[in-house]
Amino acid sequence: MKRTIAALILLAGAAGTAGWIAAAPDPRPADSLAAHQPDLDNGKRLYTASGCLSCHLPPKEDTAADRSLPSGGTALHTPAGTFYPPNITPDPETGIGGWTDIQFVNAVKLGISPDGQHFLPAFPYTSYTHMSDADVLDIKAYIDTLALVKAVNKTPDLPLGLPVETVMRRGLGLWKMAAFEPAPFKPDASKDEVWNKGAYLVTGPGHCAECHTPRNMFMAMDQSRWLAGGPHPEGIGSVPSLRSLKARGRYKDVNDLATALEFGETLGYDKMSSGGMAAVQTNMSKLPPEDRTAIATYLMSLD
Amino acid sequence: MNSRLATVSRTLALGLAAGSLFAAAAFAGPIEDRQEDMKKVGKAMGQLAAIAKKEAAFDAAVVKAAGDTIAESVKEFKNDFPEDSKDGPPETWAKAEIWSNMDDFNKKADDAVAAAMAMAAVTEEANFMPAMGALGGSCKACHENYRRPKQ
Repeated sequence: MKRTIAALILLAGAAGTAGWIAAAPDPRPADSLAAHQPDLDNGKRLYTASGCLSCHLPPKEDTAADRSLPSGGTALHTPAGTFYPPNITPDPETGIGGWTDIQFVNAVKLGISPDGQHFLPAFPYTSYTHMSDADVLDIKAYIDTLALVKAVNKTPDLPLGLPVETVMRRGLGLWKMAAFEPAPFKPDASKDEVWNKGAYLVTGPGHCAECHTPRNMFMAMDQSRWLAGGPHPEGIGSVPSLRSLKARGRYKDVNDLATALEFGETLGYDKMSSGGMAAVQTNMSKLPPEDRTAIATYLMSLD
Repeated sequence: MNSRLATVSRTLALGLAAGSLFAAAAFAGPIEDRQEDMKKVGKAMGQLAAIAKKEAAFDAAVVKAAGDTIAESVKEFKNDFPEDSKDGPPETWAKAEIWSNMDDFNKKADDAVAAAMAMAAVTEEANFMPAMGALGGSCKACHENYRRPKQ
């Protein structure tokens, strides 16, 4: 993701006037949402699968903060600058308490803020875009039940003194034109329900591909090398491939991988703890068992 | 005469073997040392994991040996992070954060030693899984912050 950000800053630098106009955010209108009755249990499940809290944590130095609430502010140091994931508790002033359903959907699925800025793709809307509106609205309904926290958001520190306003309003739009494809998840009719559920969880909410798929010259995920591993977003080391897990002897079978996702190092699966995977595995351990089985079914099927 | 000669040559051979072992130990750097210790931990964890996954029966003797090995190895391991061992060769997966948070790193290693000693003391099967959870958790707590991924 850090490379993504670096690339988009470069693209922003090279932007022409034509792109400038096209790069304006184009949110969906409110009437594009079907009527929806929120399901809070499903919202909690997908909030967990999406790892919302893992990034929107309060800073470690803030010892008084409740680390079970997504009040944001933990610095994300990247070669492209330092970013602070915002407060997404339902506080109306500093959080997202005042957001309407369509504002939330536009943010999560299109990376567009209510005041018409593009979000940095460190926020993985490039994956969340594959979620259904219903699931995204369930997450919103669940977040609305959380305790509100007053925590003012911090502006990112971009390198080379790049103007934050310009990057957020237009520069990112240029990158989106090159690298962002909003499209609903398409189930594979030749596969069963469990496989498709796993594919959806991995591709959409789980946003596994953000780190496990290598990127092309536009810093878009290279679909031809889907989940084939790549350089680590923090700049050092690599992220392992999730293909041919069985052939490479990583996991014996679906059950073995599902167990690894549930217990991680507690059962000696030591690949589940480094490079940011520990937080992911913690989230996986909180999912219903059938979700872990679905994820493992899908991943173990990749040649 | 022949047997005495055999004894002498056997002694010589033993001496040579011991000498080369010593030399190998003396030439290995801290990165090799800590990786060697981690391999011992991994092997012992494998034995415990097999019991946890019910692939092997609970055996108090195996549990004690594995717990002791992990405790000893992590104690050794702690000493193998001098300032000049941040980068290899050989390739190392230790993150630079270790050296900027040495107190926390050492504390997490001590936690792992304590959890391994508690594991070594388990004699009843009923106490095994909680000890496994604590021990695995201590591995995770350190790896999460201080080990970068490898391919």
